[in-house]
Amino acid sequence: MDEKLKGALDGLEAGPTASDGAEPEQPSAGADSAFHPSVAALREKFGDAILHHEVMAGDEHVVYVPPERILEILGWLKNEPGQEYDMLKDVTAVDFGGGRPLQVVYQLWSIPHRRGLRVKALLPLNALEIDSVYGLWRAANWLERETYDMFGIRFRGHPDLRRILMPDNYAEGHPLRKDFPLRGRFSRAEQTRRALAMDVVDHYTAEEIAIGLGNEATASGTESGATAHADGSADGA
Amino acid sequence: MGLGKGSRQALPVVPKGEPSWLTTKLDFVVNWARRNSLWPMPFGTACCAIEMMAAAASRYDIARFGMERMSFSPRQADLLICAGRVTYKMAPVLRRIWDQMPQPKWAIAMGACASSGGVFDVYSMVQGIDTIIPVDVYVPGCPPRPEGLIYGILMLHEKIKGESITNPALRAEDPDAAGKPNLPAEVIEQIAGPFGNSTKQNRVSGFVATRALARPSDRQP
Repeated sequence: MDEKLKGALDGLEAGPTASDGAEPEQPSAGADSAFHPSVAALREKFGDAILHHEVMAGDEHVVYVPPERILEILGWLKNEPGQEYDMLKDVTAVDFGGGRPLQVVYQLWSIPHRRGLRVKALLPLNALEIDSVYGLWRAANWLERETYDMFGIRFRGHPDLRRILMPDNYAEGHPLRKDFPLRGRFSRAEQTRRALAMDVVDHYTAEEIAIGLGNEATASGTESGATAHADGSADGA
Repeated sequence: MGLGKGSRQALPVVPKGEPSWLTTKLDFVVNWARRNSLWPMPFGTACCAIEMMAAAASRYDIARFGMERMSFSPRQADLLICAGRVTYKMAPVLRRIWDQMPQPKWAIAMGACASSGGVFDVYSMVQGIDTIIPVDVYVPGCPPRPEGLIYGILMLHEKIKGESITNPALRAEDPDAAGKPNLPAEVIEQIAGPFGNSTKQNRVSGFVATRALARPSDRQP
């Protein structure tokens, strides 16, 4: 046992060694050498609108597009025969800090063709607005809400752009931005006071509260939501 | 051996003609009843809850301490076990559950996150649930083993032993305090200070004057 341990520690000192398997694929220096059928098709169709193409982590193809054309390009990727990216795996954003633009990331997957593609759009910090892709994929609804909540990116045309993780009346900003202090902007005492002052109306719409009380039929707007509350209390008693 | 049939008479539990009563202190018998039938309300939010479940399962079995009934309604519970990290979004839920529990009630903060926020000194995390509700026993660990939780429960038993029902302040509850933070703002500021509550938990808990003893062998049977 001790010998074995000693051998393991020797290996630690020796540092990393090559594995027995095949050489790991190096990320391609010239991005264009890596071929992805959708990227080639995008280049042919949109030309200069495909700003940049790179390959990450071996086989993740990333395409950079201008934000004002995102809806057009993603719509084409979804509906064009031969592409058919019918699954939106993720919408998120990345803030690299230092005043650099925020990257909105769309992770697509084509079920018929079994291939993925990552599309990025760069948003300058003074214009954090981009078209919603909710019309293309219903999955974008909550994903865009989360991106709005965490980064403050507004999605034009989103049906219900509210915060999703933080409470509605959260006043400290957008937590995943690099300019957001780790412990929040308010003091701990103020955060505790605000947290305990929360009510259900800070987390849910009147409609959702009415559904929760079992009055789905009357759930249409604030006024009927209040009525539903009274009904629910009567039911409970 | 030498025992004849006639000597195997059953001894009566209460000998005939003896009085069937005993004297004790009211506090003793009340505390005996309270501590040996604690009904825990599990407030499990993270990995500590897995250890709490292990403590309740057959190998560790907190039923041995009268806790076989996990109470999933706060209204039929008298011990809140907060197992895991609590976010600010969860804080009003925790406070409301505590307010719903009838007296007498106690609380255990299980694990580093519930006790002090642990490593999560970030914008979304409560820095110790004692800023939200009063806590009787802090169980350290990340997560504590079931033995740790059981030891905390035994310490709580010792604490309950020292209580008195003639002390009205002990179980008094201010209705106005419902839904409010448990500590004044300046204390919350102080404990959550520059490096988070995990570095200065003793400022709140200090050395609580209980009759809890450090060694199990010192405890009364």
